[in-house]
Amino acid sequence: MTATETGTGTGTLDRDKLFAARLHAARVRPYLATALFALHVVESRRVPTMGVDRHWRCYVSPVFVDRTPVEELAGVWVHEVSHLLRDHHGRSDRVARERGLNGPGDRLRMNIAADFEINDDVYGDGLARPEGVVEPGDLGLAEGELMEEYLRKFSVGPRMQDLAWLDCGSGADGRGREWEFGPDGAHGLSEQERDAVRFRVAQGITGRPGSAPQGWRRWAEEAFHPPQPWRELLGAAIRSATSGPGAGEDYTYGRPARRSTAIPGIVLPSLRRRPPRVSVIIDTSGSVSDAELGSALLEVAEIARAVGGRRDLVTVVPCDASAGFARRLCRAEGIHLTGGGGTDLRAGFTRALRSRPAPDVVVALTDGQTRWPGTRPPCRTVVGLFPRGYDGHAYDDHAYDESNPVYVPDSPPDWARVVDIGS
Amino acid sequence: MPTRSTPLADTTARLDIAADLLTLLRDTTTEPRPDSQLEALTLAVAADLPVLLWGEPGIGKTAALNQLADALDLPLTTVIASVHEPSDFSGLPIVGDDPAEQGVPLAPPDWAVRLVRAGRGLLFLDELSTAPPAVQAALLRLVLERRIGALRLPPGVRIVAAANPRSSAADGWELSPPLANRFVHLQWAHDTDVVVRGLGGTWPRATLPRLDPGKLPDAVAFARRAVCELLTARPGLVHRLPSGETRRGGAWPSPRSWEMTLHLIAFATAAGSSRDVLSLLVRGTVGDGPGLELLASLDRMDLPDPETLLADPAGAVLPERGDLRQAALDAVVAAVRSRPERPRWDAAWALLVKAVESGPPDVVVVPATTLAALRREDWDVPAAIERLAGVVSLSGRADRAAARTAAAEEAVAKAGR
Repeated sequence: MTATETGTGTGTLDRDKLFAARLHAARVRPYLATALFALHVVESRRVPTMGVDRHWRCYVSPVFVDRTPVEELAGVWVHEVSHLLRDHHGRSDRVARERGLNGPGDRLRMNIAADFEINDDVYGDGLARPEGVVEPGDLGLAEGELMEEYLRKFSVGPRMQDLAWLDCGSGADGRGREWEFGPDGAHGLSEQERDAVRFRVAQGITGRPGSAPQGWRRWAEEAFHPPQPWRELLGAAIRSATSGPGAGEDYTYGRPARRSTAIPGIVLPSLRRRPPRVSVIIDTSGSVSDAELGSALLEVAEIARAVGGRRDLVTVVPCDASAGFARRLCRAEGIHLTGGGGTDLRAGFTRALRSRPAPDVVVALTDGQTRWPGTRPPCRTVVGLFPRGYDGHAYDDHAYDESNPVYVPDSPPDWARVVDIGS
Repeated sequence: MPTRSTPLADTTARLDIAADLLTLLRDTTTEPRPDSQLEALTLAVAADLPVLLWGEPGIGKTAALNQLADALDLPLTTVIASVHEPSDFSGLPIVGDDPAEQGVPLAPPDWAVRLVRAGRGLLFLDELSTAPPAVQAALLRLVLERRIGALRLPPGVRIVAAANPRSSAADGWELSPPLANRFVHLQWAHDTDVVVRGLGGTWPRATLPRLDPGKLPDAVAFARRAVCELLTARPGLVHRLPSGETRRGGAWPSPRSWEMTLHLIAFATAAGSSRDVLSLLVRGTVGDGPGLELLASLDRMDLPDPETLLADPAGAVLPERGDLRQAALDAVVAAVRSRPERPRWDAAWALLVKAVESGPPDVVVVPATTLAALRREDWDVPAAIERLAGVVSLSGRADRAAARTAAAEEAVAKAGR
């Protein structure tokens, strides 16, 4: 028995050892079992260790299986399947396109950055850490970040050679390897099948949230709905609010249409553009930091540009427990945002809606630790929420009020379009 | 005169040469190439459902529509929405002799008249997202109610609309949820290989699906079963309004969009389309989450029936993919559990042996353990079970690895303390 535990040494693939390791991996990570079993094993003498391609084939070196203990092989299984579940090849291709990273060293960096993303929380809890595994700490980097973030933080150097522990194949970094079968080879999974497997794993994790660690839960929530950049979302929400019917450009009977001369006696509507007025309520209470106020002001400038460059149409209302005066953006380049203490955005709404002419859109930038108006304002409302607590759900937990510790802030009302503002 | 005619002749000759060059440039060939997105578009258009193509400008949506029109043998009419006024779609008022008495008739535009007269055609409404709101409202009525002013488009006319995604649309255009629910949303993306090869002179010629008349009844039965089985098991999916900013303006599940899905499954089945095509269509109709659940449930419908497997273990064909194979074996064991009889128990063992001999042994461990636990006292262990000895040792090996890992973790924890 000991002979088989340490390897047969004959150079043929010890399938029993490899599959015993997969069984162990599936037992300690039951939520990954579907994905682990969906992998098709290909014996290959050219792959240095174990690697996956984007079609969910797993290339295995018999020598590597021989010299690696079962429990470490299980760790490698989970590592490789994580590359595929987290779509590292697709994300690598995207990063390469966006940042113009096309050198061979770049793909090596992507493989290492992807390894960092996986390795910082995948081992332990019944799963052994394979020998020589790379972790962000090896380069002095913090844990818990995404591949794209790690990629910005280190460059190819002589130390990289030691870090290239596993060549994880094209499934990890998108670069094809000579031992891989390619899209037409046998036993590959089609795009739809890959999505289906990833979806079933994600569903298993969200269905039983207790069993999977935080990193996997976050992955499961975002697997098919990747978070969009908040600037785009906020911009889209504001632009759509300002350009919708009733605000900004639309047809009017107030002046003659360009076709009026062709059809005398008929009144046709004509297209007329009236730039929308936007009121921005900025939460200046003590719970909002200076950095956040700075980025909020930047957003106000963005909004001003989004509505057509008429800065005189954007008013800003600083607001804590009481609302300050509404100011035109053009007058106040450096708007004095004073405040502190608690927040009551209701005062800000009252102030913003009282200004004449009335705004078409009210944008509230806040951390959500506030009361909200009880009735729907007579114009469109967009709420930009600064993150509080965990998961970016500012209003779920971590209620904060010195005078009243049991106070739980209301969540933003239904009539507002809410955009979570990230960092 | 000769002094004037020479430069003129010269110019004509130059333009001729330019024309020759243009002819050479246009001289491209086509090659057959499977194209999932074009196939999905064709099926949705054939099913007469309103399609909305989402794609960045300049990505080849118009070229695809040309190809589709060729394939369906329909004349193509393209209307650029952003250069029209609402009255172009609701009709232009024409003043008669006595407007107060006879009213003001609304005249439809010429292209609509020609379409109605032809009785058939493909109408492509481009740049929906950059048109002013009132034009969009008029256009959506055209797409959904098939009316232009007083005219009603004949059934032979098929309509496709196109819009830019929210991130690239100039004014952050989006559909309200009720409107989004009426469309099949297809994401249009370009394939670098296709573009490079096309610029090199060879464009793809999509092989378009044809509906097989012999498959129609089965296709309808299959589609009904697929949708009903899923919605019976997951009633929460019947109607779910989109929540959150990221999902606005896209597909979401409702009884209406499920009916559209049912139609699309039937069309894809009758056309023998791949799952990739069906995936595009279903996710574009009810959204990613419910669409993927439907596809996952189709995968399970594809699994061999456990009773068929038990009836003939020798001739059984098990799925090749490990996770599906385990699901099929689990279903077999569950079938034995629901009606435990000796011959069925033996047949299940034979199936497990077959699985071990034809694929990875680790997927057999769980079904084998469960099946062993179903044994009644008077049932002898079948002889075939010896061939599963490898599975038992495999399981033991994994157990030992787990024990070693646990011991090592404990040692680390102690050292850390």
